[in-house]
Amino acid sequence: MAATVKQLQRIFTQYKILALLLAIIAIWAFFTWRTEGDFFTARNFSNLLRQMAITGMLAAGMVFVIIAGEIDLSVGSLLGLLGGVAAALDVFVQVPLPVTFATVLLLGLLIGMFNGYWVSYMRVPSFIVGLAGMLAFRGVLLAVTKGSTIPIESAGLVEFGQGYLPFMLGNGLAVVLFVVLALITFRGRTNRRRYNLSVAPLWQDLLRLALLGGVIAGFVVTLNSYQGIPIPVFVLLIILGVFSFVARSTVFGRRIYAVGSNLEATRLSGVNTRVVKMMLFGIMGLMCALAGLTTTARLAAASPASGNMAELDAIASCFIGGTSMRGGSGTVLGALIGALIMASLDNGMSMLSVETYWQMIVKGSILLLAVWVDVLSGSSER
Amino acid sequence: MSEYLLEMRGIIKAFSGVKALDGIDLQVHAGECIGLCGENGAGKSTLMKVLSAVYPHGDWEGQIFWQGKELKAKTIRETEEAGIVIIHQELMLVPHLSVTENIFLGNEITTVGGIMNYEAMHQRAQELMIELKMPDINVALPVSNYGGGHQQLIEIAKALNKKAKLLILDEPTSSLTRSETRILLDIMKDLKRKGVACVMISHKLDEIAEVCDTISVIRDGRHIGTRPMGELSVDQIITMMVGREIKNLFPREAHPIGEVIFEARNITCYDVDNPQRKRVDDVSFELRKGEILGVAGLVGAGRTELAMAIFGCYPGRYEGSVYLEGRQVHIRSPRQAVQAGVCLVPEDRKRHGIVPLLGVGYNITLSVQEKFSHFGVVDQSEEMQTIQRMIDSMHIKTATPVLPIKGLSGGNQQKAVVAKMLLPKPRVLILDEPTRGVDVGAKYEIYKLMFDLVKQGVSIIMISSELPEVLGISDRVLVIGEGQLRGNFINEGLTQEQVMAAAIGQAEALAA
Repeated sequence: MAATVKQLQRIFTQYKILALLLAIIAIWAFFTWRTEGDFFTARNFSNLLRQMAITGMLAAGMVFVIIAGEIDLSVGSLLGLLGGVAAALDVFVQVPLPVTFATVLLLGLLIGMFNGYWVSYMRVPSFIVGLAGMLAFRGVLLAVTKGSTIPIESAGLVEFGQGYLPFMLGNGLAVVLFVVLALITFRGRTNRRRYNLSVAPLWQDLLRLALLGGVIAGFVVTLNSYQGIPIPVFVLLIILGVFSFVARSTVFGRRIYAVGSNLEATRLSGVNTRVVKMMLFGIMGLMCALAGLTTTARLAAASPASGNMAELDAIASCFIGGTSMRGGSGTVLGALIGALIMASLDNGMSMLSVETYWQMIVKGSILLLAVWVDVLSGSSER
Repeated sequence: MSEYLLEMRGIIKAFSGVKALDGIDLQVHAGECIGLCGENGAGKSTLMKVLSAVYPHGDWEGQIFWQGKELKAKTIRETEEAGIVIIHQELMLVPHLSVTENIFLGNEITTVGGIMNYEAMHQRAQELMIELKMPDINVALPVSNYGGGHQQLIEIAKALNKKAKLLILDEPTSSLTRSETRILLDIMKDLKRKGVACVMISHKLDEIAEVCDTISVIRDGRHIGTRPMGELSVDQIITMMVGREIKNLFPREAHPIGEVIFEARNITCYDVDNPQRKRVDDVSFELRKGEILGVAGLVGAGRTELAMAIFGCYPGRYEGSVYLEGRQVHIRSPRQAVQAGVCLVPEDRKRHGIVPLLGVGYNITLSVQEKFSHFGVVDQSEEMQTIQRMIDSMHIKTATPVLPIKGLSGGNQQKAVVAKMLLPKPRVLILDEPTRGVDVGAKYEIYKLMFDLVKQGVSIIMISSELPEVLGISDRVLVIGEGQLRGNFINEGLTQEQVMAAAIGQAEALAA
């Protein structure tokens, strides 16, 4: 008995992503059964992903912050503020769309770095910096919107939140993605062989590629059978790709993990840990800007309440996705799957017309359970 | 009835399939002191954790008999109630609590309603301090007011307060000064007379020889032998531990020494909490190309602080200047130091050396990742090749380079940390206690590496509390005492007595 529990624990730790996928399948199966199939349609799938995109953007930034051993509570308010700025620029100032985008993204980066500056250079705990920002940014948003909703008319901005990629473009990108993945795999193999490192058997890599291809094809075909890939989902996928690459293959990415696992040892190795931390918060700010733009675009309006409690969803997604509470480990893909789980619960329960208060109770319980399973699997032990 | 106080039979403990202990036997009589020896990773600490129920009964195989009855403890509390108390290598005191509060932590004397009875506790703590010959300690003050040596003794007081019949000491002297070690060893002998048995894990064979009646050697999780102390020479013990003969502990090799390459001038460091107090007081010294400079002194003399100031990471205010090849270099952060060619292998491996969750390989390349990157993107194959080269050349024992470094033994972690600081190609390498908590075999390899480096023209500053090591390796020896430079000796015919006399400020008396 004890042995099987241990084995299960090992399998869970090794294939954490697999466990998360199983959870998603279980959740989807449950809702499909309860909604008599309405949940599992291309239309709902498209909606679900679009709902998830905003939390996903925040979670992608948040997972880096948490890996580095910090937390950012201000992201919900910052999302609201930057969404409000976007609306204000579009409606009151009436600047061209690219200028709105550039301004909001730059502003997000700078405000994020400002947060990071307080954390890393002024050494104020990130929890406090986040709390301060949560209050202050919401205050600025109320000032900008004068407490009322700003409706936008600019078709381009609305398209960013509500539009779809053309079918052919979606298909084309899927093919390109698959070719890139295949190239990466084979280039990795030749490189490893060149440096006399062990190479996995060819059939394993081929099987992996085939599975990935299947997932990509299924994804695109399903979405195209409705109206195509929603633009925010497309943006989120790009973020997933870029961030995973940053985490695995760049100096900056490695340092995030090193800083989170042992800040002092990393600093004494000659790494400028302060810059790393400040930039992390900068990236978080950038993600808030994207999420803010998407929110405003999707609702075709900026509301003074938008982004309320979004930080909690983002943080919960990271932890459900297996990010360690003590920093040092976690993945972007995990965090996004966490966000998908949260979005699936929201979506499914709404379809079943579950009361809002029940939805909150269920989501809270799931977070508690997910982290408990994580603790059981022993991955957070030092 | 068993004649033993403690008998462990056929202990087997495996971690995810790998046997750390493979059928160990150990017997202890009442009032007997056993020295437990073995290389790092041999299983000594694991065995003691089995005994003290850090690993509860059922987590391992075999039997433990305590005073003739089988002991099936599930928690540390149960073993402590039976009278088995372990004192870990890293001290387990709460720095902000008083000495008394620490001694009674978990066993507080209380009046009705759980109110702390400080009067009774202070009195008992005072008695324990007198018993341990430390009447000067104010038991009402926070533990952080006292140094490592005293803290170790406070741990022992805590154990005695629990009415320990068997005391397990894991590397008790690894952070103590000579005089503190002296006091500890005397107290252990004293306890023995009072019938307290003890198991002492230590790499310091002379200390084991002094206090222990019996010596038990384990290697690779197996019991190699248990003999009365008198029957074995130090050389024989080392041979049993490593399973091979090490003829010469210090592989000293001749190497050319060049011009002065590095200079530190007027380094002064002020205490972080008490800015009036100088931890390092106006120390200047020179270092030649290809030279090994040993820095001796008592623990707390200011040697580590001096190294930190040179490396730009001293936490408090400090002054002074550093010259490389005659030109002043500005070093105010570790980053600048590494770029200038000055590298430091810190004393506290766990806190300052390793990044526990990162793989062994990524730990090694941590300080030079830019070198493998093109526009911030790491060329992983190139990096992996360098990692493999370092792992091979430093003989780091690891299953794969991606294994998190926390899974390695102390000696292998240390080699990885040294490897990390070699990759930036330092001109001056500062090693702060490079062989602390490292087994004999790994020590030998580290010494050999140091000689390889100086032959290539690297200059080494080695801080060490072990005098035989300082004298066995260094070309020149600096002695620091109470923050001041107390001696600068060419290491020819230098004796431990001379160095020690300088360290405690008695050099003149000796000369006279």
